[in-house]
Amino acid sequence: MTSILVQDLHKTYKGALEPSLKGLSFSFQKGMITGLLGPNGAGKTTTISILCGLVSADSGLVKIFDLPQTAAHREEIKKLVGIVPQQIALFPQLTAIENLEYFGNLYGLKGKPLRKLIDEYLQKFGLEQNGNKAVHRYSGGMKRRANIIASILHQPQLLILDEPTAGVDVQSRSMILQFLRDFNAQGASIVYTSHLLDEAQTICQEVAIIDEGKLIVQGTPANLIAQHAACQHLEDVFLHYTGHAVRD
Amino acid sequence: MLRLLATIKKEWLLLLRDRTGLSLLFVMPVVLITVMALIEDAPFRDYQELKFDVLTLDNDHGRLGKYIREGLEYTGQFNVIDSLNGKPVQESQALEKVNAGDYKICIIIPQGATGSIVSNANRIVNDLSKRMGVPAILPVSTRKDSLNVLVYFDPASKKAFKSAIHQAIDNFLTQVETDLLLERIKQQLKNKDIAQQDSMVIQLKAVGLKEQLTGPSQQLDVISNSVQHNVPAWSIFAMFFIAIPIGGHMIREREEGSLVRIRLIPGSFLDILGGKMLFFMAVTVVQFYLMMMVGIFLLPMFGLPKLMLGNSQLATFIIAVSIGLTATAYGILVGTVFKTPNQALNFGAISIVILSAIGGIWIPLEVMPAKMQLIGHLSPLSWGLDAINDIYLRNRGVQHIWLHVGKLIACAVLMLCIAAGVEQRRMS
Repeated sequence: MTSILVQDLHKTYKGALEPSLKGLSFSFQKGMITGLLGPNGAGKTTTISILCGLVSADSGLVKIFDLPQTAAHREEIKKLVGIVPQQIALFPQLTAIENLEYFGNLYGLKGKPLRKLIDEYLQKFGLEQNGNKAVHRYSGGMKRRANIIASILHQPQLLILDEPTAGVDVQSRSMILQFLRDFNAQGASIVYTSHLLDEAQTICQEVAIIDEGKLIVQGTPANLIAQHAACQHLEDVFLHYTGHAVRD
Repeated sequence: MLRLLATIKKEWLLLLRDRTGLSLLFVMPVVLITVMALIEDAPFRDYQELKFDVLTLDNDHGRLGKYIREGLEYTGQFNVIDSLNGKPVQESQALEKVNAGDYKICIIIPQGATGSIVSNANRIVNDLSKRMGVPAILPVSTRKDSLNVLVYFDPASKKAFKSAIHQAIDNFLTQVETDLLLERIKQQLKNKDIAQQDSMVIQLKAVGLKEQLTGPSQQLDVISNSVQHNVPAWSIFAMFFIAIPIGGHMIREREEGSLVRIRLIPGSFLDILGGKMLFFMAVTVVQFYLMMMVGIFLLPMFGLPKLMLGNSQLATFIIAVSIGLTATAYGILVGTVFKTPNQALNFGAISIVILSAIGGIWIPLEVMPAKMQLIGHLSPLSWGLDAINDIYLRNRGVQHIWLHVGKLIACAVLMLCIAAGVEQRRMS
């Protein structure tokens, strides 16, 4: 069973000169940690937006756990998916606990079970001493960790993370990556985007490299590296396929 | 329900942490209403409680001067001044003072004015007597030129003020002329029939003029006081200012990504929107009643009249909620249409000032030109103010404010639909 199936996806934003997606197709198996990689402007964020139903594709098929991403299944899919946006999607003036209680309530969680869950996650992410501090007083790493907690309160089966370790220190990164492994070990599928390819190589069981709105290559990091004698790291493979030209 | 309540709690916490927003919503309106009521008190009192000094030069020293003096003093609005620094007022001196704005009015009664009126009355009576076959015996002056009572106004005087004075003096002149005429007629009849002299009563004014109340337990003149206009008017203005924090919050939620997170959570977005709207509507209603408290308790401490609330508290509550709904919907529209908090702040503030200016908040609609009144009635702020005036000044109840309530709700629904359309377009 696939966690994500994308077939021949096309998307051009209104007023855009170029399409963002030009027939993108890929799939990830359920229960894996997978990476959706690509340079700036490759179409990663558009793909994630379509996967979670925020943006409609012009054409093509998207399935999440075999459920087509259509209006009819959107609510069902939302229950299965947790999205960790690249932005810190929290209310900065509220404390972490107030934020998590609010988002927990929106998921229908309440009372002691919610509070217990929040306490567990705060402890897991090393925020138990700062739960009552306003988020705007947090460091970058603390914000990233709180951002992840807000996305997993409803125990999603698929967690999609958009650059979850961007701008965080080594300790926070290590904690986040360990959490992803643990969460995956509990049965959750994980899709992860990052520009940190050594990190992707370490954590992802499979990656899909996309560029200019199309799939370039897909496979396990080890296989992709092995296919090219000159490549020793996933970053080499990435540059081999996407080139050295700077992207804006 | 959980989502709705959670959103109300979240908005409450956000507002508590936003001290600037809190002061904008609660402290500034109190200051604004107090200042505006005090500033506008003088113009509202112009024709009621303020006393004006009237320079008077009575060159006639007859009955006309006495009538004018007594008449002006009787109104309670004028102090008749006929001497300056212990000396009788001179014409040139009086004109100079009025022109400089030291005095608003100067009245000069020409020499021989009363005599002229007496002579005219005698002429009429003699004429009537002749026609009735009675000898004409009353003396008549041979003077041909007409006399005028001269009135000088401070050049900065308002037209309405001038008009009122003109009317009052004209009234005194008519009164003197009538009295003298009747006196002369009586005198002539007395000469003709002595037996009837004691029983004859001539009453000219058969029908009088009396101001009456249109509604129960209401005060006359309450409509024209500063508190009664300014407190409801500026309260509505302050309630509409909720659009600025709402717009700002919405844009920040969009920029910070929390709106995206909310949209990714299963469940209807209407719960979230409903929670937000209910919270801010509640804030506006609290604002409204706080402002009413200012009118009832605070402003009288500054010597201003106490705010009269009318008889229907239910109608007041309904209109307060309706205004709150429209103001909140406006904030949501502003927050949806604009991309940055600065844009929302500038547009929101300026648009509310414009809507309030044309909607009769600054000055009552009825004193505006006809075209502006037509435009003014398109402002939601004017619908709210009209409804409150109906309740507070005309003692009307729920059944009389439905049209205003309907317009406010329809406007709110329209703005929410436009906001939904804009958001839909943005998402697509």
